[in-house]
Amino acid sequence: MKPLRWFQFKSIHTSIAIAFSLLIICTTLVLSYNTYRVSSGAVTDNSLQYTAQLVEQVSMNINTYIANMQSISELAARQEPLRRLSMLEEAGGGGAARLKEETERLFQSIVSSRSDIAAIMFVGSSGIVASSREDAVPKSYKELSGQDWYRQAIEADGETVISSSRVQHLFEQEYRWVVSLSRALPGTEKGMPGGVLLVDLNFSVINDLCSRIHMGSRGYVFLLDPEGSLVYHPQQQLVYSGLKSEAVDAILASDDRTFEFEAGGVRKIYTVHSSGYGWKTVGVNDPDELGGSKGYMQRAAALWGILCLAVALAISVILSRRLMKPVKALNSNMKLVEKGHFDTRTDFDSPNEFGRLARTFNLMTAKIKELMEQVVQEQEDKRVSELKALQAQIHPHFLYNTLDSIIWMAETGKMNEVVRMTSALSKLLRTSISKGEERVPIRRELAHIEHYLTIQSIRYRDKFTYEVDVDPDILDCLILKIVLQPLVENAIYHGIKNMADPGHIRISGCAAGEDIVLIVEDNGTGTDADQLNRMLAQAEEAASRTAAAPAGVGGQGQGGGSTASKGGSGGVGLHNVNHRLRLNYGEGYGLRFESEWEEGTTVYVRIPRVPRQEE
Amino acid sequence: MRNMRTGRILVIAALLAAAAAAVWWAGQHWRQQPAPVIWFMPKTAAPEMEFWQVMLQGVHTAAAEVGAEIRVAGTAEEADVEGQITLLEQAVREKPQAIILAATDYNRLMPAVTQVREAGITLVTVDSGVSGEPAASLIATDNYEAGRKAGAVLGSMLEPGDTAAVISFVKGSTTAMEREAGVRDSMSEVSGLRLLETRYSDSSIEQAYQLTRDLLEQEPGIKAVAALNEMTVVGAARAIEEAGLAGTVRLVGFDSSMDEIAYMERGVLDATVVQRPFNMGYLAVRTAASAAAGDRVEPSIDTGSVVITRSNMYTQENQKLLFPFVE
Repeated sequence: MKPLRWFQFKSIHTSIAIAFSLLIICTTLVLSYNTYRVSSGAVTDNSLQYTAQLVEQVSMNINTYIANMQSISELAARQEPLRRLSMLEEAGGGGAARLKEETERLFQSIVSSRSDIAAIMFVGSSGIVASSREDAVPKSYKELSGQDWYRQAIEADGETVISSSRVQHLFEQEYRWVVSLSRALPGTEKGMPGGVLLVDLNFSVINDLCSRIHMGSRGYVFLLDPEGSLVYHPQQQLVYSGLKSEAVDAILASDDRTFEFEAGGVRKIYTVHSSGYGWKTVGVNDPDELGGSKGYMQRAAALWGILCLAVALAISVILSRRLMKPVKALNSNMKLVEKGHFDTRTDFDSPNEFGRLARTFNLMTAKIKELMEQVVQEQEDKRVSELKALQAQIHPHFLYNTLDSIIWMAETGKMNEVVRMTSALSKLLRTSISKGEERVPIRRELAHIEHYLTIQSIRYRDKFTYEVDVDPDILDCLILKIVLQPLVENAIYHGIKNMADPGHIRISGCAAGEDIVLIVEDNGTGTDADQLNRMLAQAEEAASRTAAAPAGVGGQGQGGGSTASKGGSGGVGLHNVNHRLRLNYGEGYGLRFESEWEEGTTVYVRIPRVPRQEE
Repeated sequence: MRNMRTGRILVIAALLAAAAAAVWWAGQHWRQQPAPVIWFMPKTAAPEMEFWQVMLQGVHTAAAEVGAEIRVAGTAEEADVEGQITLLEQAVREKPQAIILAATDYNRLMPAVTQVREAGITLVTVDSGVSGEPAASLIATDNYEAGRKAGAVLGSMLEPGDTAAVISFVKGSTTAMEREAGVRDSMSEVSGLRLLETRYSDSSIEQAYQLTRDLLEQEPGIKAVAALNEMTVVGAARAIEEAGLAGTVRLVGFDSSMDEIAYMERGVLDATVVQRPFNMGYLAVRTAASAAAGDRVEPSIDTGSVVITRSNMYTQENQKLLFPFVE
């Protein structure tokens, strides 16, 4: 469990925020990664495509230059003076000199309009040398005819020979970088070549063209001739001295395509394009540089990912806070209610679940408040009733009368009765004080009433007899304290006292289903039982209606005003008993009267059967 | 407790936001970060000095590769040592990442170079070093090795008992001494060879010419001359050609120039040992960038030398060395 602790959040707010965040992180990661992948692929493709276009462009431009040289060469070769010059077998003679002069003028007119042509020269096998340059002295025939371009053209037998880039040394003290195009011209009918026509292209033209190409900071273009020597390379010296190398063999073997090559830990992407003269134009890209922009994209993707993440996290925190705000408010209100502030109201305007929850909560609080007030009311009520019951029990008049009786009996020397009465009074007082319990076993209540009856029977000598006949099964069941005494009191004072004949009081009791019914009967004068029942009902109604006012007060008033009982205390006592029974046991319990004039009154006490609990 | 958790989330969010801001800032910073500045200080910035112009090409090539910005600071003349000292002091004030210096004087630049080190700037010397203050690296031709190559070429054309001379340029110059030692060591392997005492041209064509003329007069049987720098070669070649001894008195030189090439084409100069200035410049920048980045670099890098003769002067490789294509 321990490792999971971090994920156990006490608030839903946190859980929601975390859930949102995880969701967002996943989404952002996936999106960022995909964006990066797609865009980097696109960029790489774009770069390579761009390179391919550049390379093709360069290749085409070079083609154009060489085609121009070729057309110049052909143009010159068709001209009459040159044709005749190549036919010459002897360099000497005035005719030769004139032809040479004409040829040179021809060459000059061709070159004058073109800055890319370094020189045009014809070296005849007769030893004659004609060049487009007036300002430079050509080297000797011997030397010129020993040069590569001459020998190769002769070997090629009329075919055009294109050199790689080279230093041309046709003239004294002049060394120019050129690309040479040379071809042998037909000589006399013998089939021997009449000489070689040379057209030199300024290498700077190609150099400028290629060096202007920029592909990233490290990409470049180079040219390769069919023999594999570098026509142009921006780092030619590094290549020659072995500091750099190019995959020359692979390029020569390759057709026009793009491929990656690794040599000595250096990776390069070659884009090869062949031109029409055997040259290959090669674009070189550094894959790491394509990756360099990849690195930038990686960073950008990561950057934006993190930024989005931060914003999303903030939003998720705010959102979850907002979402959980009502719950928190409800929670804090509940705490208040817990502490007893039932007036707390939770007001949300929202019609959603939280709104409904709040309204239900308010209803609940109100109900609780009502119930609480009711409970408080009832407790108060009980207390008052009980107080009254106690008052009823040890009614001062009763005490005075009893004491008077004792005094009287003592004076007349009825010592036995004095002892009996005093003892009964003493026990009566003791049981009534009891231990402050509200409910006592029926057994004890019966003992109490027997003490009472003992006293009363002594006082009202020969006025009445009594018997207690209660089902022993229910003796241990609990009953509200001081229930029977007011009833017996009532029977004595209102039923039997005014009788001529001795009366009889009978207390019986038995279980009736889930309830217990105790009956107090007398055979006295009787009373208006209906009125009594009605009066009790009214008193109850009043008590429950005026909840604020203690029921006992109303009961007292009612009792005072009642006509059924001639002595106020009797009525008060009865409906106080009824009230207490109702309060304690609820509806359906209490007193019920039955009476018959001159026959007697029966009071039924109905209580629930509550067995005594072992403590 | 709940508030604590809420606080924690807020803290996490705040941290994330801060991280994002930091990354953003770093991204901006990374994008705007200027290229490292490297000062390149050749012995001279004169455009007609091909050796230094070619070196500059190598410098720019490497700068493009490593993404460095190059400032070139050179005097109009190679002899302007004070000018270079002033420039070097200015460079130190600009606080570049690295300085590539071709010292015009082995000793006099020492105090200025000390300032470079004290300023915490990476120093790489190229072609010529400075005494006392060790640079991160010296990128130069191994002159002793170059001398040996020249000596070997000359030696192969001689027979036992022949007489040969060495004409150096400046007495006390380390380059001169190294080349001379190489030439002498190599030629002494030819048995019975008579090697004359070294003469000094003081890098003057005229003086070299006079020296050689005197030499040809004093030693009519002389068969070979080794001239240790370009001026000396030109002076010696002129004297030999004038004396009509081209091909008889073998001449081997160093470096290249149009004059030298012309003498070579005319058969006066038999061979010349050339350096690789492009490679020097290229390697100097790469080394300086590495050293400035804190990487370990070789304390000295030999860029090599090539023997050029009449027969190989127009090969693809050698054309580039002899006839640098300077735009």
